[in-house]
Amino acid sequence: MTDRDMEQKLRSEAKALLEQGKVDGIIGFEDGSLKFTTTPLITSDKDDTSRLVINPFIVNNLSVYLTEVKGRVGIVAKGCDSRSIVSLLQDTKVAREDVVILGVPCRGIIDLGKVEKLVGKDRDEIDDITRDGDRVVVTVSGKEREFPIQEVLFDNCLGCELPTPQEYDILLGEPTLPASSGDKLVSQEKVNRLKEMTPEQRWEFWGGEFDRCIRCYACRNVCPACFCERCFVEETEPPWLLAVPRWQDNLLFQAVRNIHVAGRCTDCGECERACPVNIPLRSLTREMYGIVDELFHYQAGMDKDASPFLAAYEATDTGDFIR
Amino acid sequence: MTSTKKINKKHIAELLSQWSEEFTVFVPSRAKGVPKWARWDGEGASFLDWYRNTVVPPKAIFLPPMEEMFSFQKDGKDYRLELPASDKPKWLIFGIRPCDAKALAILDMTFKDAYEDLYYLSKRSSGLLVGLGCTNPYDSCFCTSLGSSPTDAANVDLMLTDIGDEFLVEAITDKGKELIARTNLAQAATEADEARAKEAKETASSKITRKIDTEGIGERLLSCFDDKDYWEKIAAKCISCGICTFLCPTCYCFDINDELVKNRGERFRSWDSCSFPIYTQMPMENPRQEKWRRLRQKVCHKFEFYLMNFNVIACTGCGRCVRLCPVNWDITQILDNLPKEQLKLEKC
Amino acid sequence: MSEWEPKLLGFLCKWCSYAGADLAGTSRKKYPANIRVIRVPCSGRVDPLFILKALHLGFDGVLVSGCHPGDCHYQTGNYYARRRMAVTRKFLEYMGINPQRLQVSWVSASEGGKFTEVVTEVTKELRELGPNRLFSHDRQGHGTKATQ
Repeated sequence: MTDRDMEQKLRSEAKALLEQGKVDGIIGFEDGSLKFTTTPLITSDKDDTSRLVINPFIVNNLSVYLTEVKGRVGIVAKGCDSRSIVSLLQDTKVAREDVVILGVPCRGIIDLGKVEKLVGKDRDEIDDITRDGDRVVVTVSGKEREFPIQEVLFDNCLGCELPTPQEYDILLGEPTLPASSGDKLVSQEKVNRLKEMTPEQRWEFWGGEFDRCIRCYACRNVCPACFCERCFVEETEPPWLLAVPRWQDNLLFQAVRNIHVAGRCTDCGECERACPVNIPLRSLTREMYGIVDELFHYQAGMDKDASPFLAAYEATDTGDFIR
Repeated sequence: MTSTKKINKKHIAELLSQWSEEFTVFVPSRAKGVPKWARWDGEGASFLDWYRNTVVPPKAIFLPPMEEMFSFQKDGKDYRLELPASDKPKWLIFGIRPCDAKALAILDMTFKDAYEDLYYLSKRSSGLLVGLGCTNPYDSCFCTSLGSSPTDAANVDLMLTDIGDEFLVEAITDKGKELIARTNLAQAATEADEARAKEAKETASSKITRKIDTEGIGERLLSCFDDKDYWEKIAAKCISCGICTFLCPTCYCFDINDELVKNRGERFRSWDSCSFPIYTQMPMENPRQEKWRRLRQKVCHKFEFYLMNFNVIACTGCGRCVRLCPVNWDITQILDNLPKEQLKLEKC
Repeated sequence: MSEWEPKLLGFLCKWCSYAGADLAGTSRKKYPANIRVIRVPCSGRVDPLFILKALHLGFDGVLVSGCHPGDCHYQTGNYYARRRMAVTRKFLEYMGINPQRLQVSWVSASEGGKFTEVVTEVTKELRELGPNRLFSHDRQGHGTKATQ
């Protein structure tokens, strides 16, 4: 099934859901205002559903909106997004009966940054980007260049564990395999390289990265797992950290944020994508995901009936570090 | 003969080197793939190969993301204040784009008006701006809709226009005239050079594809101010982060915080954003608790309040907010699609 | 010349570890005065935020001590703490912070002796690790103006 087919099915299903009063609103994607960009479409108007799209650029994790929309909602979810929804279900932040999950079997999302690097042009200087099976054709100044799909997908698509949602109400296409073999996890390689450094080198690395942070909180706000109504950074009397973007405070913020979402973060990659100053945040989320998996054999967002990771325990939990 | 000069692009590095003897020179730099402004490292002018515009605007030079205002130390019964060095640094910003230069002029209105902000002015008043006209605007740029252009020289001391292998150099202010007179690297420009520059300027302006209609924009925004349904709908996808405001060259809101440890402390100024929910948080209530109120305020501040009160739209069309928003919220789309009907003003 | 003394921040749960510390005191047992104690209702109250904040402030180490598994006054609080601390410790190590700066122990109300041992050993280990300069201004031991 092509993206076009899934798109048609999505539009008719979404329209029907609204017409039949099964949902109060739809959250999906529509064409963005910039080339090769999509943008969230949040609407309760059934005529707006004709603008819904499915293409290789539907990058956002829309489940971030579930904790703020009211009523029942139909939501478009790729495999990774559906895991965030499951995470929210585990935390009872949203009720299963209030969501109609329109599952999108995903063959990977194209990282425009990677395309730009490969062709040496910015997004707005590129004529066309088309996926054709496991290749991508990029047209610049009329000339076509082909790349294997693995070279242009987001890093976390390369290690995709769940391309087709397990939890869904309507599946918009045939279940699909991951876009990549998965054994070449680029993100894991970055983490491993960091682990090969000494602790002092690692600390220096992270301190250097967080020198750039401007504390815009895009990472936190785009994250479905960060749903606290009052974040710890908003405590001001007395403050845990100053609203001053010193690297010490920036690092403290991000370290605590990662620990707070441990077991709920599915490593969807939105934080790193949203960061305007290119801080490699997935090298933190990837490792936290790995710690939770390695120590507790738990993977975020896979089983909606499982207890949230940090709100549960097992008698066999490791305590070998405890005196 | 003309009064303008020109300089070969190959000589820019040497020019920067000459200027470095008298000024601290800031140029576009790209570390970790993030274009921002940084002190020139003395290593040539390779930024000319990739520079379109930076992610972090030049406002960060004059109004940095964080700035120490003073430190204090208990001294017996009193406190000793230590102000930061009060010398006026001589800074030269090389390559500032017209949109960003215009934005600095708009920022000046805030920091140089009834109250003079020492921290901003100490850097700004002795600084020099060397503008560089665009040849390759982004598809997110819309400066031409806001009374400017990719080659507008209105707010700089010297203006450079790309004419091929060379830059045409126009002295805009006396400071600029003095500056270029002192270097041996610039030659007199010919009429042909000036003609090429004129053509380059027209070409650059024609490349701007994004337009907004600012005719009566203040009144149009005022007329739909109370349309809660409209603002709720367009605010729905915003995630209330600070990217648009922090990276906007005309946004200037800041927060002041003290760090106290025992008997010493520091007072910092740092960027704040009206997008954040706690921006208007007060003990009893928050008048902008809802996202749509914050978004409405942000749009109206720039395109209505500033216009009505100061006759200036507090936006220069640099397009950073459009380019960098994680959810592609687009102010140009909002402004072009305001509800057409006039609403009765009602309590909301 | 002032000798550096490790500063250890202890989060002791009210029902077990704090009482155990009390017992160490009334039993006249000696232990290093390097520890500063904050009493919490339960080890499960300890947010990893506290630990990172302590390190940010300049504490050389943090001790979180609670009831033995199965004996938590609130039934399960220490089980949550166990999970949380395991994850925090490993994550701190990944960031470049020596995980030995975060110590966790189970000390019951009757274990005045164990409390003494734990504090003595942890203090010794911290002395060997050296001062925590992680959050100093230039990451090389030079403090911020306010905190140096």
